[in-house]
Amino acid sequence: MINLHPTDEQLLQFAQGLASPGLSLIIAAHMDMCGKCAARVAQFEGRLAEQALSHPQAAEPELQKMLDSIMALPAQTGVKPDCATFLELDGRKFALPRSLQRYAGKISGWSHMVGKLWQARVDLGIEGRADFIYMEKGGSVPEHTHKGNELTLVLDGEFSDGLNHYDTGDFIRCDGQHTHMPHTEADEGCLVFSLLDQPLHFTSGLARLLNPFSHLFFK
Amino acid sequence: MLVGIQLDNRQSQGTAPIDVADEMSLCLQEVALQRCQASFARLFNYFAPRVRSYALKQMGNEAVAMELVQETLTNVWQKAHLFDAEKGSPSTWIFTIARNIRFDMLRKQQNRKEDICADDLWPVLCEQTAAPGELGLDQQVTLDQVGQLFEALPDKQRQVIEAIYVQGKSQQEVAESLGIPLGTVKSRTRLALQRLKEMLSEDD
Ligand SMILES: [Zn+2]
Repeated sequence: MINLHPTDEQLLQFAQGLASPGLSLIIAAHMDMCGKCAARVAQFEGRLAEQALSHPQAAEPELQKMLDSIMALPAQTGVKPDCATFLELDGRKFALPRSLQRYAGKISGWSHMVGKLWQARVDLGIEGRADFIYMEKGGSVPEHTHKGNELTLVLDGEFSDGLNHYDTGDFIRCDGQHTHMPHTEADEGCLVFSLLDQPLHFTSGLARLLNPFSHLFFK
Repeated sequence: MLVGIQLDNRQSQGTAPIDVADEMSLCLQEVALQRCQASFARLFNYFAPRVRSYALKQMGNEAVAMELVQETLTNVWQKAHLFDAEKGSPSTWIFTIARNIRFDMLRKQQNRKEDICADDLWPVLCEQTAAPGELGLDQQVTLDQVGQLFEALPDKQRQVIEAIYVQGKSQQEVAESLGIPLGTVKSRTRLALQRLKEMLSEDD
């Protein structure tokens, strides 16, 4: 059951094409799993179209030329999706939402980190970083807060962080106001897609020793 | 509060009345099925000046704006078969194409290095090999279950679904290989997905 969705404002910016590329990607992936947000965006697109296309700007001779040159072109099929629709880890296969499928083939391999954590970085070429993170049953990320924004989409399974419980499809936004320790007790573990624009800041116990190195793990 | 856009006055702008939307839908169908030039000219004369006005606002430069108009309308001509009247009006479809092209044009223009392209974000110009929202991940079932459900579909629907979902063909290709109209492929796909969805919720 999905409980956490992007805000209306984020969905509107996404529909306009004005949200940042990273935010847009994670919203698109959420929409692949959430019919409610997909319908909301479709509604926004309808209204935006009405506004954007309601004022014709006088046609010119140039347009006539354009019409002729376009009709000289043959029909074309649309873009076909790539085949890598699964993400593999240790013999397990995870189905990915459509928007993320192209990136399954672009991870630089899984690395096993502290605890029962696995991480695969995706090079999106954006500011900050994007990762698939998998927590085995009983696994946890040391307690931390954020210098910037952390966006997380739960792709498979569920986890808790001391603040909330999150289920598959949930869209989670954390910033400097949130200190949390994600962990999972689900038998199947939990796979998330995460976007970070600044390194994490670890807040408790020995994990504080990670801070000087947090850019190695998370940035 | 949402900034910069009025959301609650759907009727107030002078937009295409319903009959124009119907007419444009028919034109798109004619272009998809017959490559009908008269229908495309109707679409073009109605939409090109409107897309141009959007493009001028977005790009602020006449030459770049015309490039956006050209690319948008070229896609309408070449990929009219991707328009689905059940998902929205022709004007919404054409707006989303223009928005996508704007996104990719800006990305190239600003030399941004990100790899994220409009087709990842909005599958407006992608062949529908899966129906987003109709069989989402939250309704995922095992392959075994799907296999059983497939068997329960009427032959004609199963044939279409198999070609699209198992062999990865586009609806256009299925229409050609089976020698049936594209509209028939679309309605069979829709009926089959609806039937599958019903069967899935019966299972719950
Ligand atoms: Zn949602």
